[in-house]
Amino acid sequence: MLLDYDRLGWLRVALVGFTAAVAAFLLLPVVFIVLLSFGSSRWLAFPPPGWTLKWYQQLLADPTWIDAALTSARIAAMAAILAVVIGLFASFSLVRGEFRGRQVLRGLLLTPMVLPVVVFAIAIYAFFLRIGLAGTTVGFVIAHTILALPFAIIPITAALEGFDKSIEDAAIICGASPLQARLRITLPSIRIGIFSAAIFSFLASWDEVVVAIFMASPTLQTLPVKIWGSLRADLSPVVAAASSLLVGLTLCLMIVTTLLRRKLSR
Amino acid sequence: MQGNSLRRSSVAGLPAGSGSALPALLLVGLFFIVPVVALLLRSVTDPEPGLQNYAALFGSGTYVRVFLNTFLVASVVTAVTILVAFPVAWMLAIMPPALGSIVFGIIILSMWTNLLTRTYAWMVLLQRTGVINRTLMGLGIIHEPLPLINNLAGVTIGMVYIMLPFMILPLVGTLRAIDPMTLRAAALCGASPFEAFRRILLPLSLPGIAAGGLMVFVMSLGYFVTPALLGGTSNMMLAEMIAQTVQSLLNWGLGSAAAFVLLVVTMALYAIQLRLVGAKRAGGGI
Repeated sequence: MLLDYDRLGWLRVALVGFTAAVAAFLLLPVVFIVLLSFGSSRWLAFPPPGWTLKWYQQLLADPTWIDAALTSARIAAMAAILAVVIGLFASFSLVRGEFRGRQVLRGLLLTPMVLPVVVFAIAIYAFFLRIGLAGTTVGFVIAHTILALPFAIIPITAALEGFDKSIEDAAIICGASPLQARLRITLPSIRIGIFSAAIFSFLASWDEVVVAIFMASPTLQTLPVKIWGSLRADLSPVVAAASSLLVGLTLCLMIVTTLLRRKLSR
Repeated sequence: MQGNSLRRSSVAGLPAGSGSALPALLLVGLFFIVPVVALLLRSVTDPEPGLQNYAALFGSGTYVRVFLNTFLVASVVTAVTILVAFPVAWMLAIMPPALGSIVFGIIILSMWTNLLTRTYAWMVLLQRTGVINRTLMGLGIIHEPLPLINNLAGVTIGMVYIMLPFMILPLVGTLRAIDPMTLRAAALCGASPFEAFRRILLPLSLPGIAAGGLMVFVMSLGYFVTPALLGGTSNMMLAEMIAQTVQSLLNWGLGSAAAFVLLVVTMALYAIQLRLVGAKRAGGGI
C-alpha cells in the first residue's frame, strides 16, 4: 500500500514529517537573509540586536549598486527580446520543418544549456578578446542571448506542438495570407509559450554569473558580478539588502506569472 | 511543407522549412561552436603544438587532486541529493494536491531565487559564529564551533540545496507513473511494507533515480559559483581551477586542456543519460 496516501499508517507520519523538514530547509535560508537585511548588526548576528533600514539606505545611496542593477536589466531585456524572436523563428523550423537533421539542429541549439558554463565562458571570453568585444554591452548581450536561447526555444516549441495547424490552414483557405494567418491566428494561440519564453530568457540573463565575471570590465558590471565581488571581499549586510530586493522581485515575478498564465489560458 | 516557413527559403539547396532556423543557427554557430572549437584547438597549439598541456594536466599532483576532488564532491552531492529527494518526491506523488502545492510552491520559489543569494545565505549560516554553530553550542551539543565552511561539508550542504529541485521534480513524474495496483497486489500476496519497497517501489523508480542522479552529477562536475564560495583552497573543483588558470595565471593552453577534459566527460555522461531517458520513454523502465 506504499502508494496509498490514506493507508500508509505510521510511515506516513515519518515521510510527511521528513517532507516538511526538507521544505523548511529549502525555504528558511531565503527567509533568514530577508530578516538579516533589517538587522542592525554589522556582523550579521542572529537574532539581530535591533531593527534598521540602514543597509537599504546604504544600498540605494551607492551609485555602483544602482548602475549594476540597471546594466543587468538592460542586458537581460535585450537578450530576452533577441532570444524570443530568434527562438520563435527557429521553433517553427524545429516543429514544422521536414528535413533530415532536424533533431541534430534541435540538439545543437539546446547545447548551450547543458555544456558546463565555465567552458563557454572562457571560450567566448578568448574569442571576444580577439575581436574586441570583451567588456562591451554588445558582447554581453550576444553571450547571454546564446545562454537564454534554449530557455526560449523549449516553451515555444512545446506550445507550437500543441497547436493544431489546420486552424492556420483554414484561415489561409478563407483568404488570409500565410503571414496574416500566422500573425493573427498562430501567434495568439501560442502566447503562453512566448510569454514563458520571455520570462525564462530574461531570468537566464539576469541571474547569470560565470560568463558575466569574465565579460565584466571596471566600467561595466552586472548585478551578479557586483554581488560576487562583495562576497569575495566580505559578508557585508548590504549584500543581504540587495539579496532581499532580489527575493522580493522573484516573488512578484512568480505571482505575475501565475496570474498571467491563468488569464492567458482563458 | 509548401509555403510553410515564414519566408520561403529562397536560398537554393536549403531543406524545406529550415530557413527560419537560420538566425539561430548563425548565432550559435558563430558565437558558440566557433569559440568552443577554437578553445579546444588552443589546448594543443598554445604555447606550441603538441600534447604537453595534457601531459602537464595529468602529470601534476595538484591537477590530479583537483580532478579527484571534483569527482568526490559530485558523487557525495549526488548521493545525498538522491537520499533526501526520494522520500519528498514519494510524498509529493501521492499527497492531497492542497498540501502538495505548498511544497511545490516552496521548491519553485527556491529554484527561481538568485543562485548567489542562496549561496550567500549558506555562507552566513555556516560561519564559525553563524546561527548553526551558535545554536548547537547553546544547546550544549558541541563546545567548539564546527568547521562547516571552506571544506567538503560546506560545499555539500550548499550544492545539495541547489540540486534538490532538479532531483525532486523528475522523480515525482516517475513515481506518479507507477501503478498503485502493483503494490496493492504485493500487499495481498503477503509482502511486508519493507519488502514491497525493496522489491517493487524501488526497482520501478530506478530509471528516474538514475536519470535524475546522472543529471545532478553532471551539473555538479562543472559547477563554479557555489564551490568557489563555500569550498576551501584545499578542495578546489575543476570549474574554479579552469577559471583561475585562465584569469589569474593567463595559462590559456592548460586552461583549455582542462576545459576540454570537463567537456568530454560531461558530454559522455549526457549521452548515457539520453539513452536512459530514451529507454524509459520506450517503456524500458518496466
